[in-house]
Amino acid sequence: MPAGHGQRARTRDLFARPFRKKGPTHLSTYLRIYKIGEYVDVKVNGSIHKGMPHKFYHGRTGRVWNVTKRAIGVEVNKQVGNRIIKKRIHVRVEHVQPSRCHEEVLLRIKKNDQLKAEAKAQGKIISTKRKPEGPKPGFMVEGATLETVTPIPYDVVNDLKGGY
Amino acid sequence: MAFVKAQKSKAYFKRFQVKYKRRREGKTDYRARIRLINQDKNKYNTPKYRFVVRFSNRDIVAQIVSASITGDMVMAAAYAHELPRYGLEVGLTNYAAAYCTGLLLARRVLKKLEMDEEYQGNLEATGEDYSVEPAESRRPFRALLDVGLIKTTTGNRVFGALKGALDGGLDIPHSDKRFAGFSKDSKQLDVDVHRKYIYGGHVSSYMTTLIEDEPEKYQSHFSLYVKKGLEPDNLEELYKKVHAAIRADPTAKKSEKQPPKEHKRYNLKKLTYEERKAKLIERLNALNAAAGADEDEDEDDE
Repeated sequence: MPAGHGQRARTRDLFARPFRKKGPTHLSTYLRIYKIGEYVDVKVNGSIHKGMPHKFYHGRTGRVWNVTKRAIGVEVNKQVGNRIIKKRIHVRVEHVQPSRCHEEVLLRIKKNDQLKAEAKAQGKIISTKRKPEGPKPGFMVEGATLETVTPIPYDVVNDLKGGY
Repeated sequence: MAFVKAQKSKAYFKRFQVKYKRRREGKTDYRARIRLINQDKNKYNTPKYRFVVRFSNRDIVAQIVSASITGDMVMAAAYAHELPRYGLEVGLTNYAAAYCTGLLLARRVLKKLEMDEEYQGNLEATGEDYSVEPAESRRPFRALLDVGLIKTTTGNRVFGALKGALDGGLDIPHSDKRFAGFSKDSKQLDVDVHRKYIYGGHVSSYMTTLIEDEPEKYQSHFSLYVKKGLEPDNLEELYKKVHAAIRADPTAKKSEKQPPKEHKRYNLKKLTYEERKAKLIERLNALNAAAGADEDEDEDDE
């Protein structure tokens, strides 16, 4: 029989639930709210058969562009040939998790806003730009002892003893 | 198959997946819970309230609950053990008491939201199907009935509490199919029968039957009723008074008990290293003393 290229082809392991996590899904999946513009990870929950994305999107991260009654519209990048297309899919909330990829940026924005407000209050000018790690500063080597190592001359007699 | 060694090996336990805690305790039906809690995503943070009714052997709990990731938030609660405050001292888990508890909860919630003037509900409990009409300014308070794990048969006390809440002014989607007095043959709610149940008529008729046929059983079964001086005929007006008292002042009373300063410990406190060593020395001493006193005097395990 031929291989078959249906929608869920080759997803036996991909869509399987993890070990000892089968059965009902926990309630926080349904209690999360998603707003347009947030980043979400698409991760298929094999026990919920409705609203599953295609296996290509499993593991992709995208932005929310639409919110409906039970599903989220996610805009995901897909490489088609020589270009990347932004594809819009609708996925049920069980197959979606909030992504932490953007969390660091949001925290930094908050912190920078706070720093800027404080600097403004004090009248100082600060730069909130991130700086990459520079080269390490120079230092004096402490507690070093000198040991001179010289090669010893080759001794034929002693070396052959162990060999043959 | 009788002689097969029934063993749960280490491998069995390694692969065993426990059910959710509340499922193991047999308290929550997650299938129903998911469907009750699930809010439309395009309604974002709008809470979805559940009208939770649970019965214990001697009490009724009615709550308005909304779900959140940190845990369910109870907006208002009413218990049957509060009914003595309104004049009902006995029969706290019957259909009539359930009606009173539902009514108390509804009035309490509406008072909390300052909607109690607009939504008076059904002032006269007639037993017929009553649904709240939306008023001009605000829409009625909507909740969904959460029965838990009970069997929803016609005439269950849960639906008594439901009727109480409906008459109190809450908007709970329902049908009259499961109220006491609905007959399957005619597919209609017999309003008089339902009214009888709301006012404890079924209890009164049983009381009169027992008084005539088995007075000793009546004394033992309805001893508390007898002690309070409640006759079968007084029950209806007693419940009418309770309903009026509930509508007059539904606010919850704060209990005078102070919360305990330190929490009661439910598990044993872990011993320190010294304490454990000391315990071991004690045990060994006791063992050696029991075995033979003379030579094991200083055989402490240092």
